[in-house]
Amino acid sequence: MATGIYHTKYSQDLALRQTKADWIRLSVLLVFLGVVPFVASSYWLTILNMVGIAAIGAIGLNILTGFTGLISLGQGGFLAVGAYTAGILIARLHWPTPLGIAAAVLVTAAVGAVIGLPAVRLKGLYLAIATLAAQVIIIYVVRTWDVVTGGVESLVVPRPVAFKTEIRSEFIWYWIILALVVLATLAALNLFRTGLGRSFVAIRDQDIAADVIGVTVWKYKLWSFAISSGFVGLAGALLASYRSIVTWERFTFDVSITYLAMIIVGGLGSVAGAIYGAGFMTVVPALIQRAGQSIQGVLPALSQQLPAIQLGVFGLVIILFLIFEPRGLARIWERIRDYFRLWPFRY
Amino acid sequence: MKRTAIYLALGMVLALLVAACGGGGSSSSEPIKVGAIFDLTGPTGDVGTPYADGVRGYVDWLNAKGGIDGRQIDLKWQDYQYKVDTAEQLYSQYVSEGIVAFMGWGTGDTEALRTRITEDKIPFMSASYSEALTNPADTPYNFVVATSYSDQMRIALKWISENYSGRAEIAVFHHDSPFGLSPVADGAAYIQSKGLDMGYADYAMPGGATDYLAELTKAKAQGVTHIIVQNVSSPAALLARDVKGQGLDVTMICLNWCADEGFVNLAGDAAEGVMGVLPWASVQSDDPGFKAPSEFLKSQGKTLTDEGLHYTQGWYTMAVMAQAIKNVVDAGDDVTGPAIKSALESISNFDTGGVSVPIGFSKTSHKGMAGAGIYKVENGVWTRVISEMTP
Repeated sequence: MATGIYHTKYSQDLALRQTKADWIRLSVLLVFLGVVPFVASSYWLTILNMVGIAAIGAIGLNILTGFTGLISLGQGGFLAVGAYTAGILIARLHWPTPLGIAAAVLVTAAVGAVIGLPAVRLKGLYLAIATLAAQVIIIYVVRTWDVVTGGVESLVVPRPVAFKTEIRSEFIWYWIILALVVLATLAALNLFRTGLGRSFVAIRDQDIAADVIGVTVWKYKLWSFAISSGFVGLAGALLASYRSIVTWERFTFDVSITYLAMIIVGGLGSVAGAIYGAGFMTVVPALIQRAGQSIQGVLPALSQQLPAIQLGVFGLVIILFLIFEPRGLARIWERIRDYFRLWPFRY
Repeated sequence: MKRTAIYLALGMVLALLVAACGGGGSSSSEPIKVGAIFDLTGPTGDVGTPYADGVRGYVDWLNAKGGIDGRQIDLKWQDYQYKVDTAEQLYSQYVSEGIVAFMGWGTGDTEALRTRITEDKIPFMSASYSEALTNPADTPYNFVVATSYSDQMRIALKWISENYSGRAEIAVFHHDSPFGLSPVADGAAYIQSKGLDMGYADYAMPGGATDYLAELTKAKAQGVTHIIVQNVSSPAALLARDVKGQGLDVTMICLNWCADEGFVNLAGDAAEGVMGVLPWASVQSDDPGFKAPSEFLKSQGKTLTDEGLHYTQGWYTMAVMAQAIKNVVDAGDDVTGPAIKSALESISNFDTGGVSVPIGFSKTSHKGMAGAGIYKVENGVWTRVISEMTP
């Protein structure tokens, strides 16, 4: 039994996975992710793909809110910037899909930095309202700037083409999205091992102290906005390409709230938590819906109330998390892991 | 012992083979699965609920009569609260459960799903009457079972040009959304193409407004003589009250989503004299097409007057889909999406007994109705003025 972690080299200290148990868990996860698309129905693949896209967006928001402590209610707007940028470049200017998506990441990062300007002076509730304004402005621009976004008409994005075949199947999308989730996860995990990421955390924990120790607060706040928005732009661009239709109604204020709920439920300041939260917030409604469908014939009165029940359950879950485990699913998982690691001792 | 094991294994293989053969073909008595999403509790739940009741009512009525040549319609439905994500999720779920057709609802989700339904080959009808969905070259599996918003606008403009002497000044008050804006540009193009002597301006109606005085002031400055409303009933009713309150001498014309019973109830006196372009007749009209839904509702302890015209709208939209499915079954073909699409494209004169103009599609147009009725609120009731007018 391992009684502690004893490193003899710096490279061991820097490794993302440090114990044998970590590696075993990772292998099990990889096997699971490798097998799932072969056994899951097209419906469940759709759900998994949506979880993947949401996970990238949630990681982005977590960089801003969870790691830098800057609250944002503009997630829906940033998603729209990513989706419309990719959509316009691919559909109108006929850019190849990967290039369109990459450009969307950069454009959203730039827009994020501009919208993050108030963050230089504001924090807390004031910043929340400023980002809410950004959400409203972005959607307004999307809806009214007909010439560029298509305005009221939704934007049809051609499917990506590989080997002269259009990529349509959920199965292939699963692998594309999975690869990008892995990439986003690794990028985020590594971000917090760099001076940049550590500056974010310092700002979150105490911005005045961070300033005193030499962190240029305003600069790193803008960086946080830009990097976070880059991730969100990727999620938006993927959404555009995967769904092949971009409509502003997908990027409403509700979406911003859902993403905030994702990182609260998953765990603020945890990359894994963002993924857990995205999974939770996507899969649970689907399960409630399916449960609702199965009771439709038996208890029609109850099934009519299902959306209300669903909202109630969601609200309750968030309140319970805030009360009993503010650090979310990620912290619950850590506790389970520690329990087995230390068993039979308590600590 | 060894021999018993071999016999057992052989028996199992045989049983599996038989089971596999049995499951391969679809039995002729299997229910026909149709998916549906409704807005019962979302932002458009007020009109979404009677529409949904109409769709479900028709299915129950048809199933009680023995279904389609003995096959029941298995309607899989869920309230999606006008959320695009939920719509997509439910659509994927129903497709994986083997649906052959889909009944949608809003503009956003209809737009969001249009590529998927084309790839999945699932005929799709919704209550979004955007003209963008009527061209089979772009959206081959979308069918618009009504007069498109743009045609409703053209009809309203044509009616004005025929019933008003002098230069009409048109103010289009619209919902601030794709739904609201959908017919605005087409209206301007129509005026130009017909060489009509009309002024034309549009005013977005902000959501959640408590009055539209600011917009009306601008319209007054325009010299407005007619207000065309492309919005749902409650904001339209608020607008009607403001028009009356301001004492404006204008004719208000509601397009279909505000020309309903809800508008009259909410607007009260201000509704008197308001005109409407209605693809679906008011339930007070004494048309034979109201008999079946009316009797069905009576058997449920309800009345058509309580449910309103959106009920028959849902009822007959589902009826058109069911007719196409019936045509496929009668032809002895497998009930598949492409077969239903072809059957729909062959429907040329579907009679709703006066509830709407005859419905028909073709390979080159998925616009279900060419014309609509013109109505006027008289003594709190939408009263028919012209039974059919085409743009």
